[in-house]
This record gives sequence, structure tokens and C-alpha cells, in this order.
Amino acid sequence: MSDVSADSSETPAGATDATMVADLTAAPEAAADVPPELVAQSMSQYLRAWWLRVRGGDSGVLPVVLAIVVVAISFQIANSKFLSAQNLVNLFEQSSIYMLLAIAEIFALLLGEIDLSVGLVMGLGSVVVAELVQPAKANWPWWAAIIVTLLACCAVGAIQGSLVARLRMPSFIVTLGGLLILEGVAIIVLGGGLVGIGNSQYKNELVLYNIFWGSFSPVVSWILLVVVVGAAGTGFWLRDARKRRHGLETPPRSLTALKIVLMVVSGVVLVAICNVNRAHVGTIRGVPYIIPIVLVVLGVSTVLLQRTRFGRYVYAIGGNAEAARRAGVSLPSIRTWCFVLAALISGIAGVLFASWQVSLTTNIIKAANSYVLLAVAAAVIGGTSLFGGRGKTIHGVLGGLVIGGIYNGLYLLGVSSQWIDVVVAAVLLAAAVIDVLSRRGAPAGQK
Amino acid sequence: MSPDRETPVTADPGETPAGAAVDLTAAPEAAADVPPELVAQSLGQYLRAWWLKVRSGDSGVLPVLLAMVVVAVVFQIITPEHAFLRPSNLVYIFGLSTVYMVLAIAETVVLLIAEIDLSVGAIALIGGVIAFKLVQPGAGWPWWAAILAALVCCGVFGALMGTLTARLRIPSFIVTLAGFLLFSGILIVVLGGADGSVNLNTSEFNQRVIYDLVQGVIPPVASWVLLAVLVGASGTATWLRAARRRRQGLVTPPQSVIAIRIVLMALVGAAVVAVCNINRGTALKQVQGVPWVIPIVLVVLAVWTLVLGRTRFGRYLYAVGGNPEAARRAGVSLAGIRTWAFALCSATAGLGGILLGAFFYGQYSTNTADPGQLVLYTVAAAVIGGVSLFGGRGKALHGVLGGLLIGGIAYGVSLLNLGSLSTPLQYILPGAVLLAAVLIDVLSRRGSGSVIRV
Repeated sequence: MSDVSADSSETPAGATDATMVADLTAAPEAAADVPPELVAQSMSQYLRAWWLRVRGGDSGVLPVVLAIVVVAISFQIANSKFLSAQNLVNLFEQSSIYMLLAIAEIFALLLGEIDLSVGLVMGLGSVVVAELVQPAKANWPWWAAIIVTLLACCAVGAIQGSLVARLRMPSFIVTLGGLLILEGVAIIVLGGGLVGIGNSQYKNELVLYNIFWGSFSPVVSWILLVVVVGAAGTGFWLRDARKRRHGLETPPRSLTALKIVLMVVSGVVLVAICNVNRAHVGTIRGVPYIIPIVLVVLGVSTVLLQRTRFGRYVYAIGGNAEAARRAGVSLPSIRTWCFVLAALISGIAGVLFASWQVSLTTNIIKAANSYVLLAVAAAVIGGTSLFGGRGKTIHGVLGGLVIGGIYNGLYLLGVSSQWIDVVVAAVLLAAAVIDVLSRRGAPAGQK
Repeated sequence: MSPDRETPVTADPGETPAGAAVDLTAAPEAAADVPPELVAQSLGQYLRAWWLKVRSGDSGVLPVLLAMVVVAVVFQIITPEHAFLRPSNLVYIFGLSTVYMVLAIAETVVLLIAEIDLSVGAIALIGGVIAFKLVQPGAGWPWWAAILAALVCCGVFGALMGTLTARLRIPSFIVTLAGFLLFSGILIVVLGGADGSVNLNTSEFNQRVIYDLVQGVIPPVASWVLLAVLVGASGTATWLRAARRRRQGLVTPPQSVIAIRIVLMALVGAAVVAVCNINRGTALKQVQGVPWVIPIVLVVLAVWTLVLGRTRFGRYLYAVGGNPEAARRAGVSLAGIRTWAFALCSATAGLGGILLGAFFYGQYSTNTADPGQLVLYTVAAAVIGGVSLFGGRGKALHGVLGGLLIGGIAYGVSLLNLGSLSTPLQYILPGAVLLAAVLIDVLSRRGSGSVIRV
């Protein structure tokens, strides 16, 4: 999606040559060369170029979309409740945590690093935010509690990031030691007891509770959908039109239209599903707040990674750190910032987690640790490379949906938790194998 | 204990300035250049060369020994009734540390090739449960067959993970992280559910033997005899080998260094036996003598020291860890060495798991140990002991010393009256210790390796 620079017009536009150019770049998003689908002039050319790219090893979101379809079909066959509106909303809600943590993890993975502490940064964040709104203790307003929680998480990320970026300690060791310390700190903050936000008499607790469990009313959901899709669709269309007017390379009009239509259709389906009554007793309808929250995090992080200088530097470091350094990129500061952002997004997940769990105990904090594996698995299944330089935040969201679907489906089937762990481990390994093999399939220059 | 003593002096290392040669090698153990303490002819020269080496960043076991002294003194002062260094506690600490020592030796093998195994904890527990299950009346295997079967099973698990790492080149921390999850799940299945357990019945012979691996003691008199035999045998062997090498014109440390080593070994051994022979039970029910687990750990240490220091496989491990591309061009099969390293690491970890179960009085349940915490303590133990995370540097002895330090810290903290802080400290302490150890590793490499690192 990068703007076409002057020299790219000299690149031959022929499909084969352009494909080779695309294949040769470790991070097509960051590369100055134009991917073939950008120079395509018609829909069919675009599809052909895309297919060539998939066959060249850079399959983007295709495998994860296929995985979602496979998961959906197989669990639906095993248990007809799986695709019921009730369960689907439940699945989205569960997956939202995986999605946020996967987005957080992608900031580290893009650099070729890893952050094993996202699960416990989330755990720490959940404890801090819940403690701060306790009427008997700090009794802060909910917004102040959230801001301080996120700042605390950022500080954790800055410390870990500095150790990784400035001292070049291996990131998996720093974050492994970090997660242990965070676990201890979270237990200290928790004070050995139990902290809950379920008392609806207190406004601040109620607001926190509603972040996960509240939803828009059905009518507002529809209005919101129209506004969001209208704004995003108009934005896409106008941007493409402007680029076309300036003579920049743009995907064909039909493709832009197709993307907007797809967005509208999936939005309508989502809102329609959420507006079905999903309560066992009484009525719960409407889009849960967490769906727009995840979408906002996705949108902001996508813009940050795809459209800013910071994002280009992240891909550059992940693709080839030494080349990025020689090009004048400050490796320590970009790396540190990525860990700060990962911790920030984990902190947001922590606020959601507190809201989801309602009351937090030592055991729940310990269990938060297992989320990191799911986050890495979600990111890698989504199509983010473990070796850096390849991946987008949308991959985290889609991968999170797969993980959430597997968890939810196995749970519906009554599978015990240890077997679910075994399945998730197998999925993580399978994703890593696919990642390695797809890199191997790409030309040698890419390694 | 340098593994390279076999190397005859060639013409060129003599021309290399002794100090610089050390600085230039990332992995002094694996390098073809002779370390300066090997060419030293007198005790003074030897000590000077050793000091040069320490100052250049290759400090060997010195930091961990210092840390042990500091830990012992500090805990002796701050524990209630100054109980830390009581003989009964010292013996208990050794038992508690056994699993960390054995797992750290196992982890060292993988760290040497610049990989990591995060599944050792889960593998160890699986190994223990398999051995415990096989000696139960239902299966009724003899104890040696049960242990062997457990080690083979763990080795196969390790080989599977090693194959994924070595042949597909998936990052080892991902493979073993997935392995950790996978085997933790399988462990619960093998145990028979989340509330399942397996216990040893000490009135049955085969179960009793496994129980006694840690809980059994050698009688005081037999302990002294064993010590005399062991020190005598290994002292004589060391002396004779040095003499033979000197006769054949090979490089050998000065005679005084060898004598000091043997005397030190005898003194440490005598101290250990003396401490163990103090009654640590009650006046009515005396418990004294060296626990079996001490010679068992020594055997594991000796076997791995020999494998790493004196076999072709060991040299290849250091070579692969030091510079894989150079090793490959020299004809070393990287995939083969890496796979074997993971397999042997897991087999050794399985033995650690059996000893862990015996330490917990022959009881295995899901509460016996947290596999995640085990692996963190293990990696911390190895790195604190002096094994580098970046490959090519480390010995089995480092794992033992690091494991003892970790066990000592863990037990010392449990002696303190910390109230509600004791649970969080169980997490914070190993995390902080791990970070500190890696920090030292990184900084010491920076001090020594700046010449070769571009």
C-alpha cells in the first residue's frame, strides 16, 4: 500500500517481472518496489497477480481464512450449536482477548523478537485497574484508573524493551524473566485476596463491568454500522480516487468497490447476529462494546504500521536490521517503542480481562500466563512470521478468531482442558511449520 | 576440567600472545588455540593466566561460587534462629536442588548449541510419572527397567522436538514452548486427570529402590569408606593421567595445581560427608549418613563432563554452538548433532523428574511441581552457573553449581517469615535472578567478544 515513488514507474509492469520483484522482498509492505496487484489495471489482472503471489509463498490472509472456514464447518458438524447466533457472539467475546494480545505480539514479532510477557502484562493491568476503582481503597474514577493502568503497562514495556533493545539481551529471556516478576507483582497488588468489579451500586465498577459485558442497543448498533461503513467506504473510495487523479498506482475501481461491498456485507451479518436475543432468561441484544474496541485497536495499529514512518522502520528492522541501521534507522528506539506498544495493547486487553472475569484471584492471574501461547499461536496462524518483517495486525485478529473458535468448539464438545492445551500446542506447531515452509518456498534471497 | 587437554601444542599458538588468544575466541573450550593456563609451567604462571582469563570475561565458576558464599552468609544472618546452615537444612537443600542440578545439566547440553529447551520441566515430570507408573503393581516392572523405559520415552520426545528444530529450523523456543504445552497436557492425562496421582509404596522392593534414590542414606561408616574410595580413585587417576601426559610431552598444568585440585576435592568431600553424618533426625529416631542422591548427581555430572569434554560428540556440540557454519564446513552433521542434543537433554531431564518424585516422598500429583516454574529455574540455574545462552560456552559442572544456588535461594526464602509476600517472591526471585544472570552473560560477552563481533 506504500505510495509509489518516482523510480517505481521504471519497474517493468509485466506480470512475471513484477512478481519476481515482489517475491524478492522479505516485507512487501515495506518495500519500495510495487507489488504486482498495485500495478494491475483490471480485476482479472489483479486476481492473477494475487494468485502468483500466493503461489510464491506470500499467501497473506488466505490460509487463515481457510482455517476459519474449516473450523466453522467441522465444529458445526460436531455440534449444531456452534454457529448459533448465541454461541457466535460468545465466541467473538472470548476471541477479543486473543485478538488484542495477538496484535500486541505482532509488534514484537515484526521485529523478529518475541514478547512472552503479554499474558501477564494483561494480568497485571487487570489487577491494577480493578484495585484502583475499589470504593473501599483507591476509589478512582474509571477513566483515571484505565489511564494509569495503561501507563503502568507502558512502563513495563519500556523497561523490557530497553533491556532488549539497548543491552541486546535475548527478548524471550527478558520477557520470560519479566513475566515471572510481573506475576509476583500482580499477586502483591492483589494482596492475596480477591478483587471484584461486579458491584453495580458503584458507578466506576459498573462502567468497567460494562466494557466487556455491555452492548449497544440494536438500533444504535445499526446506526453505528451505517456510520462506520459509510465513513470507511467513502474514505477508501476517495483515497483511491485521489491517488488515481494524481497518477499514482491504484488497484482497479472494481476491486475497491468489491472491498467496500465485502465490508458492508460482513458488517451487516455481524450486527444481525449480535441483534438476535442471546440471553437464557430475559433479553440481551445488540453489538457488544468490545467489537468496536477491537476494531479501533486494529484500525489504529494498522495505520501506525502501514502508513507512518515508524511502521516502515519496524518492517525494515524485521526484514534486515543491519540494512535498516545503515540506512539511519535508530534500532534501539524503534525496538523499545514496539515493546511499549505491545505492553500498551496488552494493558487494554487487561482492562477487558478484568471486566470479563468480574472478580480476580491469584489463580486467575496465574492462568493469564497461558494466554501468551495463544497470542503467539494466533499471530502465527494469522500469517505473521516468527522471523520478523512479515505480518499485519489483521492477521492477529483473524488468528485470534481461529484460536477462539477452536477453544469454544472443543469446550462445547465437552473436551477437558488438558486436551484443549494439546490441540492448541499442535496448532501452534503446525502454524510454525507452515511459516518455515512458506519461507523456504520463497526464493533464497529472502532468507 | 578443560575439555581440550587432548590438544597437543602446535607451533602457532606459541606465537600468539597468551592474553590475546583468549580474547579472540568466543568459545575458549572449543577453540584450537591452547588456553594460557595449559601452557603455564608453574603455579604462579598458572594463576596469572587464570586471572587474565577471568578479567577478559571468561570467569568460569568464579561468579557462581562467590554468589553461593554470599547467599549462604546472607541467609544465615537473616533466617530466624540462623537456621539456614544447619546440617539438616544443608542436606535438605541438596535434595531440593537435585532436580534443578540435573535439569540444568540437561539444559546445558542444548544451550551449548545455542538453542533452548523450554519443555524440560514438563518432560521431567512425564519421565517421573512413567517410571512411577511402571513399578506399580499393575505393571510390575523391575525398577531398573522402569527407569530405563522412562528415559527412553523422554529421549524419544526430545528427539521429536529436536527433529523439528534441527531439520525444519523452526526456532527451538517455539517448538519447545509448544512441547511444553503438549507434554503438560499429556502429563495430566498420564496421571489420570487433574486430580490423579501416583505414589510409591515403600514396602515393595522395586518401588522402595526408586524411593531410596533420594530418601535413602548410606550409613556413616560406609559414607567415609565410599569417600575414601572415590577420592582415592579419582585422585590417583588425575595424577597418573597428568604424569602420563607430561611424560609424552603433552601440555599439562603444573604438578602443584594438580595436587591442589586433589586436596580440594578431598576437603570438599570430607566436609560433605561430615555434615551428612551429623544426626539430622531426633534423638530417638536418628537420621545420619550421606543420601544416595549425592553420588547419583556426581555420576550424572561425571558422565556429562566426560561426554562434553572427551568425546567427539561433545566437541561437535561446542563447535556447533561456537560457529555452526564453520562446523558444517568442517563436516559436522548439524541436524544430527542438534537432534541428539535435544534427545539426550530430554532423557537427562527424565532422570531429574524421577529424582524429583522421590524427593517428594514418592508422591506424584499435579501439585508436585509446576512444569513452567521448573523450566525457568532450570534455565536460570544453567545461566547463573556460567553457561552462555549464545552457545559454545558452558560445562556440566556449571549446571550443578547453578542448580545448588537456585535451590539454596528457594529454600532460604521459604525459611523467612514473609507472610503474604512469600507467594509473590516465589515468582519474582527466579525472574530477577534469571534476568541478572543473562545480563551478566550479555555484558561478559560484550567485554570479551567485541573483537570478533562486527
